[in-house]
Amino acid sequence: MSSRKQPKGKIRPPKKPNSADAQFNDNWDRLAQAIREIHKKNASILSFEELYRNAYNMVLHKNGDKLYNGVREVITQHLEEVAVSQVVPAFPLSGASSSQTNPNGAGGANFLKVLKTVWEDHTTCMLMIRDILMYMDRVYAKTANVPLVYDLGLDLFRDTIVRSQNYPIQNHLLEVLLQQIKLERENEIIDRTNVKASIDMLLELTDASTKDTVYATDFENKFLETSSEYYRVEGQMLVGEYDAPEYMKKVDKRLNEEEQRVRHYLSQTTEPKIRNIVEEELISKHLKTVIEMENSGLIPMLRNEKMDDLGRMYKLFGRVVKGHDEMKSAISDYIRELGKAINETVTSNTTAEGGNAASGDKQTGATVAVRWVQEVLDLKDKFDKVQNLALSNDKAFQTSFNEAFEYFINKNSKSPEFISLFIDDNLKKGLKGKTEEEVDSVLDKTITLFRFIGEKDVFERYYKQHLAKRLLLGRSVSDDAERGMIGKLKVECGYQFTTKLEGMFNDMRISSDTMTDFKEYLDKSVLEKPKLDLSVTVLTSTFWPMNLSASPRCNLPPELTKACGTFQNFYLGRHSGRRLTWQSNMGTADIRGSFKARKHELNVSTYQMVILLMFNDKQDGESLSYEQIKGESDIPEADLKRNLQSLACAKYKILVKEPKGKEINPGDQFNFNNDFTAPLQRIKIQTVASKVESEGERKETREKVEEARKHQTEAAIVRIMKDRKTMEHNLLIAEVVKQLQSRFMPNPALIKKRIEALIEREYLERATGDRRVYNYLA
Amino acid sequence: YSNLLQDFSSMLDDADDHDVLIQVGENQDIEEFRAHSNILRARSKYFKAVLSNVSNDLFNGKIKIKKSNIIPSVFKIILKYAYIGEVNLSEQPVKNVLELLIASDELHLEELFEYAQDFLIENRTSWVQHNLIHVFRRVSSLSNCKKLQNHCI
Repeated sequence: MSSRKQPKGKIRPPKKPNSADAQFNDNWDRLAQAIREIHKKNASILSFEELYRNAYNMVLHKNGDKLYNGVREVITQHLEEVAVSQVVPAFPLSGASSSQTNPNGAGGANFLKVLKTVWEDHTTCMLMIRDILMYMDRVYAKTANVPLVYDLGLDLFRDTIVRSQNYPIQNHLLEVLLQQIKLERENEIIDRTNVKASIDMLLELTDASTKDTVYATDFENKFLETSSEYYRVEGQMLVGEYDAPEYMKKVDKRLNEEEQRVRHYLSQTTEPKIRNIVEEELISKHLKTVIEMENSGLIPMLRNEKMDDLGRMYKLFGRVVKGHDEMKSAISDYIRELGKAINETVTSNTTAEGGNAASGDKQTGATVAVRWVQEVLDLKDKFDKVQNLALSNDKAFQTSFNEAFEYFINKNSKSPEFISLFIDDNLKKGLKGKTEEEVDSVLDKTITLFRFIGEKDVFERYYKQHLAKRLLLGRSVSDDAERGMIGKLKVECGYQFTTKLEGMFNDMRISSDTMTDFKEYLDKSVLEKPKLDLSVTVLTSTFWPMNLSASPRCNLPPELTKACGTFQNFYLGRHSGRRLTWQSNMGTADIRGSFKARKHELNVSTYQMVILLMFNDKQDGESLSYEQIKGESDIPEADLKRNLQSLACAKYKILVKEPKGKEINPGDQFNFNNDFTAPLQRIKIQTVASKVESEGERKETREKVEEARKHQTEAAIVRIMKDRKTMEHNLLIAEVVKQLQSRFMPNPALIKKRIEALIEREYLERATGDRRVYNYLA
Repeated sequence: YSNLLQDFSSMLDDADDHDVLIQVGENQDIEEFRAHSNILRARSKYFKAVLSNVSNDLFNGKIKIKKSNIIPSVFKIILKYAYIGEVNLSEQPVKNVLELLIASDELHLEELFEYAQDFLIENRTSWVQHNLIHVFRRVSSLSNCKKLQNHCI
């Protein structure tokens, strides 16, 4: 029966149209019938080998195209039937989208179920058909460049069912899918397997023109559009209904749900897209609203230290472009605001205090400074904690927080002084009862504030003053703590910053040795011994903050002058060529005073001693006027007033002032207070020294700082120019700023003035061709 | 690895655990071969397809397949090739080689097909030349047989 079984040797034309057609028809009829049986699920009655051989023979006899087209026709016909008889009757009632008539989407679910069955049937049949037509696939499809029969089946399914021109299957399918997803978003339980089957089907079908999946071309965009709309509405609703923490929980949940949805029944390629939509609609669009929510937004979270909520916000907002920026700026603004409040309490306090400075409430100044630093430290602690627990130690946040701290700390022009006072307070008495670790941690924290100070040179000046007092008045509690602090400053600013401070320590040590030697010298000496014990600390003038040129004058009592002379001889004998200047404003004295009730030992400043000794020559009741004291002692006016205040207006009234009052005024009369009593035998008279500088002192310190800055700026310019020889103006300015900014922020006008000064003094010249360029003159 | 081939060969010759019966040939020239479905499936796309679609052709618990358009002596070569991947064509009558060529095309045995084609061109050159018309007529419809077709022309 096969054409191959021709007798050998007999040559015939290769094709006889009639018999070949008949052959084709016969073979094709059987195959078409077989495919129909397969569609009817009757494949078991077929002989696979026979069908295979039919197809094989048809291809062999060049009827591949007829076979291929025939198969296409049979399958198309079948699918048309399926569409009419199975798919269309399963359409959900009155439109899939109408959830009113179809509240739980049962009709939709059923439709998906039918489609699932139809799809599964189709693919099963196509596998069998593919096997039978294997030879056609290999020989014909390849050479004719047409899709393999299985792919043909997919395309036919796409065009006849999914994108049917005759029935609105596509609309129903998409609407049902979107409706099912919507139902699930509204917490209904849906049958995910049916949805997944349809999605998988769409994923398996290919769009002919784009070569993309039908899922991508037909479904995905619609899904994303409806999702956008859904979350746009939901976002507005949630923002209105919930507070910030609840809102974020909802968003978190939504993000999770969508991720789960993709994993369970959508394509992974959709994941970033739907994530973007939820992030855009629920996060980006409501960033500010959520951050600024009253009573529950970012600031209330910070105020109440809601670390979990803050952490959630950090994580959620980090998903969108502006999220962290918005958070950062909101938190920074908040820090600035809190900082401003701290600064304001200080200014209101100091101005209030300024009014009654004469009250002698000498603690307030330091207290304000200590409280200011403590409050700033507490604020820093708070935000360190937030940073640590909620913000994953995000560097960008840290930077922005630091900027905020820097901003408000430098807004307070007194911050260098305050920080130095805070350290002073801690190194003086605050440390009592604290362990070394506690000391260290307090100082470490203070250093973090020190870092924020722009004017480190101003700090240095105050630190030197405070350190000088601690050292000279023996107020420093622990040498180790002092050195520890200097060590920390050294780490921050380098050795230049601390050489002078270390020099001060050295002077103290050498002085103590010198005093031992002085005592020996006195013992051996034939000279008359002074009538009083003299203890001298020799300070190297360049290390210490005292101003030599304005060295305070004071007429010392003769005994003291004599003792000083003895020391001066001793000291200059050992160190020739040095000059000693007495800093009478820094000394203390122990004197004995006899009052009516009893004798008291009084620990007073040198000036107070000078004042008190004047009353030795006076009769009881004889008074001295302010002018008399001033004239006789030659003590500078500000110091005199302060010391008189300490003696006459403070806790221990050794002198009685007439008229009474807290202020010392010209014309006041002073009497020795014979009736003075006190419970203790030994009394320390504190000098009323406003620890926070008075306005005048501040101005003076400012001027000193400005003067020092001029020198430093000039030094930097010369250093740079010596190295570069020639340099353009702006580059020079930039380099100077770079070198000096660790100490202070020099303003360009200052630098420019210094450059001009250096040109005048012929260190520099302007280049002949270009006035913006400077040359160094060796 | 000669042991492996030997063992597979004896699996074919002395099979007692076969699960497939293949009836080959027609008219008087019929022979029934025993084989193992797993080997056939693994070695040939054609048999894989056949065996996947024969759920009811069971005979005594064995799958029964008819392949009438291949003669037994040629099918024997094919089966041996399926089991041990070896054929010895020089011992075969040349017309069997031609039939083998045609059958291996039908059964998607590309390797065997290429081998048989080359064998005819290179080792049976004179026979092909003497029977040029017959050979050409037999292979003219095989679209994969371009080499031999060109050789004939």
